[in-house]
Order: sequence, then structure tokens, then C-alpha cells
Amino acid sequence: MSTSEALAKAQVVAEVPQEARDKARQLGWEDGLIESALAKGFSLQEVWQALRGNVTGDQAKQFLAGGQMVRPEFKWMKVPTEWGIKARASDPELGLAIGDLNVGTYGDIPDVWYNRTEIARGSYPNPVNEDMGYTIFEKAIVWADCCVPLYEEAIRDRWISATDLPWASLEPLADDIERAVCQVMTEQSDRAYFEGALLSGWLPEISYGYLELKLFLSTVIYDVARHAEAFRKRALANGGGLGLQAPTDYMRSAQEARSYPELINILFVQDSTLLTLFKNGELFAQNQLERDLYALCAKDRQRMMDYQVERLKHYLFKHPERREEQNLYFNKGENRLAKDWTDPVVNEPLAILLGGGKGNIDEGMKKLRAFRKLQVQDYVDALAKATFYRTNLNGRLAEYLAD
Amino acid sequence: MAATPLTSSGLDLSWLDLYDEPASATPGKKGLTLKEINLGRYGDAARGKGDMTTRMRGAISRPGAQRFGPNYQSKADVWSENCIMLYEEATQRQWSSARDIPWDTLEELPDELERAMCQLCTMLTEVEFIAGDVPGQWMPFVSAQDFEAGLFLMSQIMDEARHTDVFRKRALANGGGLLAQGAGLGLRTLIEARDFTEMSVLMHVQAEGFVQSMFRMGELIGQTDADKRIFRMSAQDESRHLAFGVMHLKYVLDTEPERREELHHYLDKAEGDAAGGGSGDVTFPPVFESLCILLGGGPDKFDEGLQKFLLLRKRQINEYLHRLEVAGLGDRRQRVGPLFAQFVDPV
Repeated sequence: MSTSEALAKAQVVAEVPQEARDKARQLGWEDGLIESALAKGFSLQEVWQALRGNVTGDQAKQFLAGGQMVRPEFKWMKVPTEWGIKARASDPELGLAIGDLNVGTYGDIPDVWYNRTEIARGSYPNPVNEDMGYTIFEKAIVWADCCVPLYEEAIRDRWISATDLPWASLEPLADDIERAVCQVMTEQSDRAYFEGALLSGWLPEISYGYLELKLFLSTVIYDVARHAEAFRKRALANGGGLGLQAPTDYMRSAQEARSYPELINILFVQDSTLLTLFKNGELFAQNQLERDLYALCAKDRQRMMDYQVERLKHYLFKHPERREEQNLYFNKGENRLAKDWTDPVVNEPLAILLGGGKGNIDEGMKKLRAFRKLQVQDYVDALAKATFYRTNLNGRLAEYLAD
Repeated sequence: MAATPLTSSGLDLSWLDLYDEPASATPGKKGLTLKEINLGRYGDAARGKGDMTTRMRGAISRPGAQRFGPNYQSKADVWSENCIMLYEEATQRQWSSARDIPWDTLEELPDELERAMCQLCTMLTEVEFIAGDVPGQWMPFVSAQDFEAGLFLMSQIMDEARHTDVFRKRALANGGGLLAQGAGLGLRTLIEARDFTEMSVLMHVQAEGFVQSMFRMGELIGQTDADKRIFRMSAQDESRHLAFGVMHLKYVLDTEPERREELHHYLDKAEGDAAGGGSGDVTFPPVFESLCILLGGGPDKFDEGLQKFLLLRKRQINEYLHRLEVAGLGDRRQRVGPLFAQFVDPV
């Protein structure tokens, strides 16, 4: 017995969905024709497929009277998309990368994407579709060419906090040092988790035209999720615990962003300064685990900064008229981050770690000031790489540079 | 406390006195996972009231911390008892569409089969794109008190990105291309959800459940070793998403049984009032027809393919009902929508 016969045999007296009746009426099916099909042993699913396939009332009637079955036309086989694509890995070590798919028309990343649906870029559009509610349709707002290779690199370079860090090697630290480590970890865990949640919320805004960018952002979200849990694990693994939650000024400024350029420029400030922190993690690390942790986070953060710099440069090139406006967002991000940096619960743990203990905190504060200078310099340099030269750098940050 | 300098040198240092419960999590067999650090006042069992700030569970509240907008204050709204395990499993089982699929084993297929496979992949790359947006949409509403659920959703976003990319790769790797856009795939219902549990039951349990049942028939659908491996690897990821959804639903039904009818209402809408295909509907003609061709082995074996398609549909519906039963919604069987009802196996 075929599946359809079995279904028909087992079929309860099926209620015919109203939508099926409406569709049947639209296609000219006489009243009772659906019931007639069901009585002849066809399953409701088959009737439904016929309706979805636009089988007309006449065709259905003829078929049920013993005529020829209406064969599907497979119209989708004939849609005029580019055919004959054989994408191959350009770098055998990396494998078949998404960049390798960008051939022919599939590689056209449009300056403006007009389709408001979830259509896969390069496929043939349905004539009528619902608007999916995306709000970002312009390449200049989100795009950087580097997001294409960075996506695959992020996957290649992934790591696992549970097993790639030498947890068993942790040894007790002096109380003040352990607590300083834990406070830093608490703050960084908060910041990482927040950034992941924030960026996640922006994904539904970005249309399919910029697919590769969304894929890359997904890796960033996954990276910062890993940072959040790795920092938390460190705080809870060596006799300490979680400390005071991170200050909220900077994070609120990112949360308040009303557009993607505003959001991403505010994040630029922290992404850059955190990259410098993690790249120089050996200055703060008390053991091999922390050195490894900072180094792995730095590698992840570097990808984000590569994207940040290239996106900003591209955006400014495409929108020179909006250059001055960007200063407003950087002003805000810098202002709030500089305020966070004045918080003793942000500064003092770092100073204890740099100084080598609570007793040397004054020395640590001097080192921290020098380190802040490095963070600000790296940040200003990153902006310059993006062709953005800050003429009105936040006063607190400028003070560090003047040291 | 922290903002007030207490020492003559202008230092505060009061934060050094916050550590009243030393934590020394030790690695288990799978390393130091979230399970090992889920202890004492840091554990989910000790979850206190949420505060709408960004404070991770167990961190000390900062006086003056600003709120970040509404998020779920009740654990039941987002929690799933397996999210801790599922997140770590996700980190262990990440795979690479670039390197873990044997692309070099792809063989030239008869034109109609290649077109059918490309049509299916066109639909899947579209579906998976939305599947990343949907958890993204809800992340800002997941309190940091329940951060493990958030971490899981972020791992899901990564999984869906990989699925979006792997099906696009398949469509463009074997002499084919993308074909017709899906339409009426029921994807809007996912993004239209206005409650986390509504979203989860529609996406994790229903839509991803259907996709999972389909992927598990990948041995029949796939035409090459590469195809079959894509379905196997993707099914592994979908299992986690599905498991999260089932256990979230169970948690809600266990702790907030008064929501039962409300949850049925969402499913009534998805199964009954509309076309009845449910979210991730495979009855859209290009998808239905391409599946029949792939399952049958060619357009000339369409009828054979149709029988297998009906089997797939039957499997989808019955597995869906079984999952709902596991979650505590076994009475769904009696009120399932008409297009589903025809497939339901007798108890």
C-alpha cells in the first residue's frame, strides 16, 4: 500500500481548512470537489499540494473523472538565475570559503538592496511577498570587504574556554591579587555579554543583500559570548568570585544608538581600547591561563577591529557629507568610556595587577596611566587608519596623550 | 560605595571586601564547563530578582547602575534546564562548512537532480537566515541573570550562520546556482512572535523540528556524500536548538501551568487558522516538487518521490507531537490542525 493510500485509509473525517476552501474557490473549484477528491482516496495533503500548485477547477474535475493527472511544471527549474556555477576553494588550506562563492552575479554586493524580503541574494524573486521589516538596505552603512575572509578566519580560529585553557594549572594567588583579577574578570564578562546581546538585536535590521556581513557579525556575537563565559570561569576558578558589576555609562551609550553607524562607532571606542588591553594581557596576567585567555581574546577582538576600521573608512568615502556627524557619536562613546575609566573599581584592580599588589598600588597607578596612554594612542591610530582624524578628542583621553 | 574615595591617597579599595563566598570551581571530564561554575550564589538556583541592568548573575549590584530597557524578569520566561549543557556542547561541536564538508567528492548530477538540490538549498539558505535573526531579536530581552540561556542563543546564531552559508555553498559548488525564492514558508510567524516562549515553541520546537526531521532523511534526499554530510552535520546542530525549545516549553509548563491554553493558542494559529503547513512549511510548490524529485530519484519518478514526501511529512508531524508530549503538551494530539491531523499515528 502506498503512503497516500495508507493516509487515505487511516484518514479521520478531515476538517478542510478554510484557507484551502478559499484557495479552491479562487482557482474555480466547484463546491464539493475537495470532498469528492477525499472520497476518492486522495489525502488532504495531496489536495492541498494541488491547490498550492494552482491546479484549476477544470483540471481537478477532469482528473477526478479519470482524466490525465496534472503534472507539475517545475517552473522553478526555469527561473533566469545564473546557472553553471562551480565554486572552488581558492585557498585549499581554508577550504571552500564564502568568498569563493562570490563569482558572477552572485558576487554583486549591491550599493543599495531593494528587496524587502528574506530572499537569498542571487535567487529569483517571487513577484509578491511580505515585507520582513529590515531597515538597513545600504551597503555603505554596514559593509567592509574584509568581513568576507574574516568570517572564515573566525571559524578557523575558534577556541573552547572549557578545554583550551589550562584550568588545572591555576595556583592560589595573594588575596589582593586574586580579588583584583576577579574584579577585572567581572567587568569584562559584563561588557562582553552586553556587546553580544546588543549586536544580536541588530541582526534582524540588516537585509539579505549583505549576507556575508551578517555571517561575520554572527561570529563576533559568538566570540563575545565565549569571552563572557571565559572571564566568568576565571573569576570562579581560583578562590575568588564575582565582584562589582561593570559601570553602566559606556554600555548605555551603545544601547542608546538609533542607527547602525552610531552603534558601531560607539562600539569602536571600546573595541579598540579592549583590543589594546588584551594584546598587552601579559602585563596584567598572573599565570599562563590568563596570558592564554587574553591572547585568545585579542585575536578575536582583532578581527572586530579590522572590520571596524574598514567599515568606517568605506562609510566616510561613500558619505563624506556625514563625516562631521560621526564626531558626535565618537564624542559620546569617548565621554562615557573616559567616565568609566575614572571609576575606582575599574582602575584600582588594574593598578594592583600592574603594580604587583595592593602595597604597590601607587606604582601601579603610574603604570596604568602610561597604559591608558597606549590605549588612547592605539585608538587614535585606528581612527586615522580609517581616515578619521579626531580634532576634538575627549579631554580626559587627550590628557593621557599629553603625558 | 565605590565612588567615594576612602583613603588619604584618594583610593577606594572597598571592592576588595566584596568576596564573602570564595569559589574554586574545578574542571570536570569535559574541562571547566558552565556546569562546574554553576555553584553557590553564582548558580542558577540562586537567581535573585532581575534588575534590568547588565549585571551578570552573582555579580554585586552597583549603586546607581542604569537600567537598559525592559527584559524578562522571570526565569521561566527564557530558561531551559539543559541550556548550560547545550551551550558547552555547541562549543565542542562547532564545525566548518569550508573544511568539514568533502566538497571535492561532489559529482556531476543529471540536470534535474542538480536543479532540485539547488532549489532545496535556495529554500534552506533563506530559512536559516531568518533562524539567525529570530534569536537575535530576543537577545536584548534575556536578562543577564539567565545568561546561560543567552549564551545558548548566541551559539545558535553562529550555528544558523553556518547553515545559511553551507546551503549557499552547496547550491554554488556543483555546476548549479540559486533558484526560486521561497514564499509562504511561514517564516513571518517566527519574527512576528511577541513573546519569547511563543517564539521558542514556533521556531525551536515546530520549525526546527520539521527541519530536523527532514535533515534526518538526508540520506534519502542527498545525492552525494557531501550532501549527506551537510544534512548530518546540520541535524546535529538542529538537535540542540530543538532540545532547548522542548525543555524551555517543559519549564514553562512545569512552573507556569496557567500558560497552557495560551501556548495552545499560538500553535492553533500556526497549524490551523493559516495554511496549516506550520512554520518552515515544506508544502510550497518549488520545495515540495524538488523534494519529490530528490526523494524519488528524478522527475520521472515523481510519484515515488511523492510517496516518500508524504512519509517525510508523516514523520515530521508525529515527531513534532512526540516532542510536545515530552514537553508536557501531550493534549496537542487531540487538537492539532487539519493538515497535521491526517498524518497523526494512532496512539
